[in-house]
Amino acid sequence: MSGEGKKRYINRLKSFLPLRSKIDETYKKSLEAIQMGRPVAWAMINAWYGDPILRAIELETVYPENFGAVCAAEGIAESYLNRADAEGFPSHLCGYARNCFGYVSRMTKELGGKIPPEAPIGGMPKPIFLLSSNIGCDARYKWFQALGRYLDVPVWVLDMPIPGVKELFRDGVYERCIRFIVEELKEFVHFLERILGVKMDWDRLEKTVYDIEEMNRVWFEINEFRKAIPCPMHSRDFWSAMPPSLFLAGKPAETLILYKEMWKEVKERVDHKLSSIHTEEKFRILFSELPPWHSLSVFENMAERGWNFVIESWGYHPPPPLDLSGISDPLEHIARFSFHFHTAYFKDALEEGEYYGYMGYPLLKFAREYKCDGAFFHLPLTCRSTSTHQLYLQEKMKEKLKIPSMIVSGDIVDLRLFNPAEVMKRIEVFEESMESYRKVREERS
Amino acid sequence: MPEGSQGITRAKDICRDRFRRVKELRKEGRKILGYICLHAPVEMMTALQIIPFRMLGDIYETPTQVDRFLPRAFCPFVRSVFDLSLKGKYDFLDGMLLVHSCDAMERTGRIWESVVDHHYFHFMDLPTKVSERHRKFFREGLDDFKKTLEELTGKELSFEELKKAIESHNEQRRLVRSLYEITEKVPPKISGSEILQVIGAITSIPVEEGNKLLREVLAEIGKRKSGKLKGPRILVWGSVLDHPAFVEMIEDLGAHVVIDDLCTGTRGYWVDVKLDGDLLSSLAYYYLVELRCPRTFKEAPSDGKRKDYSADLEERFGYLREFAKTWKVDGAILQSVKYCDCHGFEVPQVKDYFNSLGITSLSLEHNYMIADREVLKTRVEAFLEILRGGVE
Repeated sequence: MSGEGKKRYINRLKSFLPLRSKIDETYKKSLEAIQMGRPVAWAMINAWYGDPILRAIELETVYPENFGAVCAAEGIAESYLNRADAEGFPSHLCGYARNCFGYVSRMTKELGGKIPPEAPIGGMPKPIFLLSSNIGCDARYKWFQALGRYLDVPVWVLDMPIPGVKELFRDGVYERCIRFIVEELKEFVHFLERILGVKMDWDRLEKTVYDIEEMNRVWFEINEFRKAIPCPMHSRDFWSAMPPSLFLAGKPAETLILYKEMWKEVKERVDHKLSSIHTEEKFRILFSELPPWHSLSVFENMAERGWNFVIESWGYHPPPPLDLSGISDPLEHIARFSFHFHTAYFKDALEEGEYYGYMGYPLLKFAREYKCDGAFFHLPLTCRSTSTHQLYLQEKMKEKLKIPSMIVSGDIVDLRLFNPAEVMKRIEVFEESMESYRKVREERS
Repeated sequence: MPEGSQGITRAKDICRDRFRRVKELRKEGRKILGYICLHAPVEMMTALQIIPFRMLGDIYETPTQVDRFLPRAFCPFVRSVFDLSLKGKYDFLDGMLLVHSCDAMERTGRIWESVVDHHYFHFMDLPTKVSERHRKFFREGLDDFKKTLEELTGKELSFEELKKAIESHNEQRRLVRSLYEITEKVPPKISGSEILQVIGAITSIPVEEGNKLLREVLAEIGKRKSGKLKGPRILVWGSVLDHPAFVEMIEDLGAHVVIDDLCTGTRGYWVDVKLDGDLLSSLAYYYLVELRCPRTFKEAPSDGKRKDYSADLEERFGYLREFAKTWKVDGAILQSVKYCDCHGFEVPQVKDYFNSLGITSLSLEHNYMIADREVLKTRVEAFLEILRGGVE
């Protein structure tokens, strides 16, 4: 239902547009930086770990993971994936990574380092260094390490402690992790000062950190509004609006204003009981993990049937606000905020006897709090990080919450692995399942 | 332990029935802790009279229970081990230590802890980088682990006991290296698949029993007559091979697997844990820095502004040059189970490194199960033909 002239069933917010445009702006700025002889970095999504520092030191940054999504949406990815296969990378590796290998191989082996002309939104210019991390998955550092085949630039890995749920609450563990992260950040600042030949502006960092925390607080509240019935904001708007938070696309001070505008629009919808779909909200759905960027039109088809996607995975949401008013060191702010992102739900998880404190447990909590009728798990075949917990959660949601879910295999980049027609066939059956479990929940309550 | 058999036969018997001895010991009151990856500091368990038991999968058993919790596009080795656990086959364990060696282990560990009822379960984080600061941080993690073991056993882990345990495990490392010294010779008197079985055996019994077994095996092999040179000398690199079938398949095709870079082969035995100073720091150094696994981020020292790919490969894979030279390797087989990201990203780089050494390599991906071997056989056969063209 995405064709021109066809009725649209998702009631999109107006305020997502300027937020979404921050992505284009980021690529444009990186290209301008290169044209003006200024450096550009490539970074992995790092949960506000290294990004605040990159912004404060004014280094333009692009995100190959996001570029993978853009290539997929623009239909360019397939040629890069084929090229990565030919380079000897196994086809089960992360689709974003393979897209990047294909892109870089073409850039360096065929074009002498120039940006491939077919690259969407201007492409990614050659970086001065690669900012990697262990956050989220092993691919985030193994991928950049493997880029050494093509790029003679250093890789900087930010190490994030990843404790177990109950282990986090052993004496001294939390504060030890914070101290470790602060030291990681200090070393990263020194590295940046060395490679860029500039000094960190600590006042600017402090302001940047404040803006990021404030921006995420507002973004968190916007998503809290979505607990309302009917839900005022669809997942499509979430995905469009998340990059300024997740990748810090745009300047945090400016995007904070844009999120505040969104806050007002969503609040108004809540006050007037306006839904994010133009049909009756029959089913409130939780969406797990990244969407098939190449086939987003399926959400229109589902909206037509009364499916409202009301909440998404933990990994793309900011953590609950944290009071850091007593902390003066901006590096400690970053450390506490980023670590909080990973561990914010550990305490609740432990109380419920769940040990999948991030990725897994938060979705159980969201499904309960957002009063979901069902969950739609998109299982990306090339992403272990976002697929490992899905079957487990399917089991737990059914067992603990009596909420059914459907799992659809696909991929974040490789459109050959996703079949929208099959999805539409399956959802009819799933609707019956959701109706049936709704009765079970009603009887139980 | 199986009665009557000796040396290599006994090792094979134990390897075939890995649970038998520890189940006997558990009846006698010993505590058994399971671990999967090599990053588990087994010395600390041994020091407290706990038997460390390496949990492996089963290439003959189709996973069934695990489909409730893990997707199919996932490390098939971890799926297999978890499946056995869900089926109750690891119920004899008193608990588990799960180390954050890779995503598959870390994520599965969280599910494992939630759905399998173990009296003891400890998750131990492991940094990605290897600097002194990272080692110190890991050392503190080891201290946490120590406390949990003390809580489990009600005993204090003393310096002397830990030193003694490290000495025993170091002795085991030296004995295993002696096995590999035998394969330096042309032709080797012990096959690669036999070595994997010996290692499979010693990771399922107490360290002192393992050392006795190794001495028996070494004595027996020492008396063997030299065989005939059958064919190319092969190095096998890659992800876990917890059953000798893959190596047997290569050897049945007429090659000698003389050296490996596997976590079920050389990786756990190549370097000793240092015994000077603070022992937890020594263990932290060994398990984070010395233990080879692509999960750890290592790189060549540089000016921090430019990366030299060749230097980086040398820093990360330089030991393979030594392996190739000392073991007179004709070709390398780079194998990995599907969905192993750490090894998967590494494959083109290891291939680049072997190319730089002038060593032909073949990369193979497999699904871990025995049924996959026939498919791989054709490709290995063709590879060996190519090598024979150069060898003979």
